[in-house]
Amino acid sequence: MNQPARVLAAAAPSPATAHTTMDRIAAELGRAVQGKEAQARLVTTCVVSGGHLLLEDVPGVGKTTLAEALARSCGLSFARIQFTADLMPADILGAQIFQAQTATFQFRPGPLFRQLVLADELNRAPPRTQSALLEAMAQGQVSLDGTTHALPAPFTVVATQNPVDFSGTYPLPDSQLDRFMVRMSLGHPAPEVEARLLATRGGAPALDAVKTVSSPEEVAQLRALAAEQRLDPAVADYVVRLARATREHGDIERGASTRAVLALGAAARAQSLWEARDFVTPGDVRAVLVPCWAHRVLLRSAVQGVTARDEAAHLLEELVRKVPAPR
Amino acid sequence: MRQGARLRLVLRDLASGCAFASMAVSGQLPLWTLGLYCVGLVAALAGKRLFARRAKLTALLLLGVAAVLVLNVTSGTLNLVVAACAFAGLISAHRLLSAPDPATDGQVHLSGLLMVAGGAALSGELVYGLFLIAFGVLASLSLALGVVEAAVPEGEPLPVRAVMPPLSVGVGFAVAGAMAFFILFPRLNWNMTGPRAAPGLGPATTGFSNTVRLGGTGTIKGNPRVVLRATLNPDPGGDALGAYWIGRTYDIFDGQEWTSAGGVKRMREPLLTLRPGGDNLVHQRVELLPAYGGQTLIALETPSRLGNAVANSTTGSRRAPLQEMYGGEARFAEPGLSYSYEAYSLPPGGSGDSFRRLPSVEQDALLALPEALDPRVSQTAARILNGEREPLAAAQKLAAWLQREFTYTLELSGDHDDPLADFLFERKAGHCEHFATALTLMLRTQGIRARLATGFFGGERVNDAYILRAGDAHAWTHVLVPERGFVTVDATPPAHRPSQGSKWVQQLLALYEALESRWRNSVVDYSFRDQVDVARALVRPPKGSEKAEQRRLPPPRAWGAALVAGLVVYVAWRAVTRLAGRPRPLDATRFVDAVEAVLASAEVSRRTEETLEELDARLAREHHPLTGALSPVTRRYLEARFGGRPLRQGEARQLLRTLEEAVTQHTRLTARASRAS
Repeated sequence: MNQPARVLAAAAPSPATAHTTMDRIAAELGRAVQGKEAQARLVTTCVVSGGHLLLEDVPGVGKTTLAEALARSCGLSFARIQFTADLMPADILGAQIFQAQTATFQFRPGPLFRQLVLADELNRAPPRTQSALLEAMAQGQVSLDGTTHALPAPFTVVATQNPVDFSGTYPLPDSQLDRFMVRMSLGHPAPEVEARLLATRGGAPALDAVKTVSSPEEVAQLRALAAEQRLDPAVADYVVRLARATREHGDIERGASTRAVLALGAAARAQSLWEARDFVTPGDVRAVLVPCWAHRVLLRSAVQGVTARDEAAHLLEELVRKVPAPR
Repeated sequence: MRQGARLRLVLRDLASGCAFASMAVSGQLPLWTLGLYCVGLVAALAGKRLFARRAKLTALLLLGVAAVLVLNVTSGTLNLVVAACAFAGLISAHRLLSAPDPATDGQVHLSGLLMVAGGAALSGELVYGLFLIAFGVLASLSLALGVVEAAVPEGEPLPVRAVMPPLSVGVGFAVAGAMAFFILFPRLNWNMTGPRAAPGLGPATTGFSNTVRLGGTGTIKGNPRVVLRATLNPDPGGDALGAYWIGRTYDIFDGQEWTSAGGVKRMREPLLTLRPGGDNLVHQRVELLPAYGGQTLIALETPSRLGNAVANSTTGSRRAPLQEMYGGEARFAEPGLSYSYEAYSLPPGGSGDSFRRLPSVEQDALLALPEALDPRVSQTAARILNGEREPLAAAQKLAAWLQREFTYTLELSGDHDDPLADFLFERKAGHCEHFATALTLMLRTQGIRARLATGFFGGERVNDAYILRAGDAHAWTHVLVPERGFVTVDATPPAHRPSQGSKWVQQLLALYEALESRWRNSVVDYSFRDQVDVARALVRPPKGSEKAEQRRLPPPRAWGAALVAGLVVYVAWRAVTRLAGRPRPLDATRFVDAVEAVLASAEVSRRTEETLEELDARLAREHHPLTGALSPVTRRYLEARFGGRPLRQGEARQLLRTLEEAVTQHTRLTARASRAS
């Protein structure tokens, strides 16, 4: 286990300093998945915005590594749950155990009670389990037998799913996809990165290189800070106009929901921290628009999985060009 | 002082001036208050706040002024309302000269309102209306500028140019709203103490003296001031009435001037019956305006009964008793600025007075001739009449001769020893008094009883009333005809009887009269009843048309009014939504336009739908030499536009200048590089 690389600063982050912390986290993530700086920044943005992350990728590109690296760099407690067809809600949420000595039931928290949970191959679990997880994601708490158990803060779920192999899976309904702030894919590393991996790693786990550069408290502070970012009415109007454009687009069956609008606002707020600003610009909105909305719009064409995401991304980029940004 | 603040104060002072003027046009304020106020206003407009230092001490001056006014009121020379108005004006003047702070501003505006209310009580004339509107506009603009001034931080100039157009639009809407409010909102009818006796500006122009002097002074014929306004019943209709309105008669001529025999016949009667009348009398409701200036009642020839007289003076209006004088004159027993009364007149065709019923002094005077009468007058009359003895025929014969042989002129020849001989045998030109005198005396030389009558000739239609102007003053002859009494014979050529003004002046006056009359009907005398009428006229079918009443549907004009109202509301709504929906040209937006123009001059142009932010990021990626200059500008723009930190005054210009310098340097470098290559 690595030691924290530095003594955490006592002072709370400000818009002017937040990006240094975020840069540090993104740099550590970049260490784990090399050549994916943009994705590393996006993951950081997602965590700071207080959202959950959906990774859609073929196996073997480092999804799990990325999630673990995130937990480690931020010093978050971590659990990896492999979703399988026989996984039951109690397996992730926890259960009431009968204590013989006191003759009472006691709650034994499941693996979900961690600050960062990796829901690996989420679509392999039956819908009942999926929805138990998604409910916990939305509420930040778990209700069992009438008792509410708060999940540890900051609570983040990183879910992965394989977008190509659908056999034996329960695809996430679109309404549930909506609960993920950001969807992204890592994609295969560039050839030179793969070559370097081959040459240097030699089987040594990439995670060992990741240091803890932040703390759960700092992440919580960053989230609070991001939530405070000024969103000018003109920018808010821009977000709304974008949403309306998706709803009125001929190739889109169902446009961005209100939750999508809120999520885009939150993501743009976090994004604005990168520029050491205390307000959101249309540029911030545009930067996070595709990762934030591509999985939320339902296309008229019946394509599924990655192709659908690509097409949605393409449509959204086109919309960005059509809907004039406030000046 | 900031520039905008100076403008605000000037507007404030002018508004106060207008409010004062709205009272001053009534002409009732004492002259010294007028003078004091004007001095104060001029000093204030020149920026000399004389009382800024010792506000409390100088306020003692007001106490002195108040004391003088109270003295005037108690001695009865000044009406209480007028005194209060004058005092409000002087308070305003004192405030104008005090140090300009928010409290003072409020007091100035408040005193302005008081003065406007005072103006309404004093006159309410058309000119008052103009000053009222001017006060409303100026005071609103001043108040609005005050609000803007409070919102702009200290030390920054006021955006006067930017705020004036929307403020003006706002004031326009407010004025329109006030009018709508006036027309439609139910009102309380405050019967103000009503010293409605505005003499207007300038002295009275006519008036009946006890004598008529031939060759006197003044060219009254060209004077267009309205002296009388009357509504007739039955209404004869027609634009020009062309009637004789009699004031009084004269019977003794001494060769130079006319006088009357006798004096007061009856004292202080509420109702005068001059002569019995039949059934077909013409009723007149007459208003003698301040420009008239006399005390003699005017009525259509021949008056039968006069009464219901009210005299208006600076101290209020009250019932006025009447006096009857010899010579058929009726007078107000008390002086006033203006009067109103009712009269009944016999229809034209003779007064019905028989010779025997006349007082003996008048009987004697009707044939009297001046001692030094030129013998040629009698000879000429005898020659013209050629034996005609019937009084009316003789008079008409002489009148026709006078009209034929003599010309009308207003160029007076000054005093003569014998103006009549001068007229008849030398100049052969004169005005109505010459013609009338000549006819009267020529008749008398032939033993026919006659007298001189003076009053007005004419009657110009304005809306439903007839008016007489000072220029309509006229003189003619009364010939005593047996059985018929006095009959009017006019020796003046017909074209020269009524007012003689230049044509365009007449037209302008007619326009002014129409406006004034409309103002009176629609504003001054507009009442709750009129409001009800307006509303009713919109929905009720016109009276008398049974078919329309049976339909029980609103008349077409109601539909029309509703359509117009709907259209107006729709257009206003469209305009408002368009205005509201239109993106405001923010400072930051104008700034980014300017930045892009500068960049375009360096051939760095924005791609379609690329924001300045993205352009800046692209240039940074491309390591463009202008990045260093552009980045701070972009950042400042974003802050100003989306960060809630607007550009400070002059900051945009400064940033642009820096950017322009960088661009100039960049283009110079590239030019040099291309030359070198």
